[in-house]
Amino acid sequence: MGFGDLKSAAGLRVLNDFLADRSYIEGYVPSQADIAVFEAISAPPPADLFHALRWYNHIKSYEKQKASLPGVKKALGKYGPTDVEDTTGAATDSKDDDDIDLFGSDDEEESEEAKKLREERLAQYESKKSKKPAVVAKSSILLDVKPWDDETDMAKLEECVRSIQADGLVWGSSKLVPVGYGIKKLQIQCVVEDDKVGTDMLEERITAFEDYVQSMDVAAFNKI
Amino acid sequence: GVEELVLLEKLLGLPKGSKYGVRGERKVPVLQTNNGPGLTGIMTIAAYLVKQAKKEQLLGSTAEEKAIVQQWLEYRVTQVDVSSSKEDTRIILKDLNIHLEDKVYLAGNIFTLADILMYYGLHHVMVELTVQEKENYLNVSRWFNHIQHYPGVRQHLSNVVFIKNRLYTNAH
Repeated sequence: MGFGDLKSAAGLRVLNDFLADRSYIEGYVPSQADIAVFEAISAPPPADLFHALRWYNHIKSYEKQKASLPGVKKALGKYGPTDVEDTTGAATDSKDDDDIDLFGSDDEEESEEAKKLREERLAQYESKKSKKPAVVAKSSILLDVKPWDDETDMAKLEECVRSIQADGLVWGSSKLVPVGYGIKKLQIQCVVEDDKVGTDMLEERITAFEDYVQSMDVAAFNKI
Repeated sequence: GVEELVLLEKLLGLPKGSKYGVRGERKVPVLQTNNGPGLTGIMTIAAYLVKQAKKEQLLGSTAEEKAIVQQWLEYRVTQVDVSSSKEDTRIILKDLNIHLEDKVYLAGNIFTLADILMYYGLHHVMVELTVQEKENYLNVSRWFNHIQHYPGVRQHLSNVVFIKNRLYTNAH
């Protein structure tokens, strides 16, 4: 994820594309996500990147309320299109973390002592970071699983769906919802870790139970 | 007409039970008030409801905002409601697409009655658009998708789906 380098034209183009069909960085209301990206941009985007400019001017109008907007500011690499490589390095274990730069890596003349101190602090930071559990992106998905007809054994269908196991997938509650003509669809909740489980995979595995399942739809998809 | 005014009442949090009627061939909605002949016309009734609900900010705050809200309400009634042919619709969508290029809401940065009534007025149009048309009018699609997710607006109306990944690589 991430937009690349937002101070470069290429990064701004990614942002522009991302915002072509979105009013905000995340969801449908202004949030800390927008503030985080807004603060990373040094000046209003050029007029030819008009989606980015529209968004920029809109977020600027919320300048006074920025502290009270919902959400939590995350590293820039967490926002944006999922198919863009995260080049900010904030999310990985690379040494180019913003915090580490504070410990004087810009100094040209580093005394032995200062260097040793820095190495020590680096090691401390790394160990602290590795101990902290990573915040995992999760989503709550509501699936509609439709049977062939009203004679399909819904209990067996549910069993088949729940038998699908995957790392990062947890099944939740379910209920049977009538859709007409005596047919009922299975509406089942699940919580998935975004990195590990996708709806494509779920669809493939559920529709593999061809005897019971006619089709599957995603009824609702919410980020947790 | 009347249905959207009922939806608007609910969105504004007003109590149910207002008496609506229609007048004339074009079925212009009429709201019966306690005293007097009643209010006629969508714009009039909608503005009245907003004031009843004490949500005047939906009509705009500055003089310019108020004017823009009125402008789009007028557009809704004089252009959108009378459009019947595909060509008329195309012109409207093109107009809106240009206007929304640099704005999040019709009035710029604030959500107003203009967005609400334009959403209700255009819903039947957006529902029928093909994927390519929705991509063509990218700004309208973005705006429509935003408004239909605004709490309380969509209610029982169907959710129009907008695909995130663009299938047609055309110029903006």
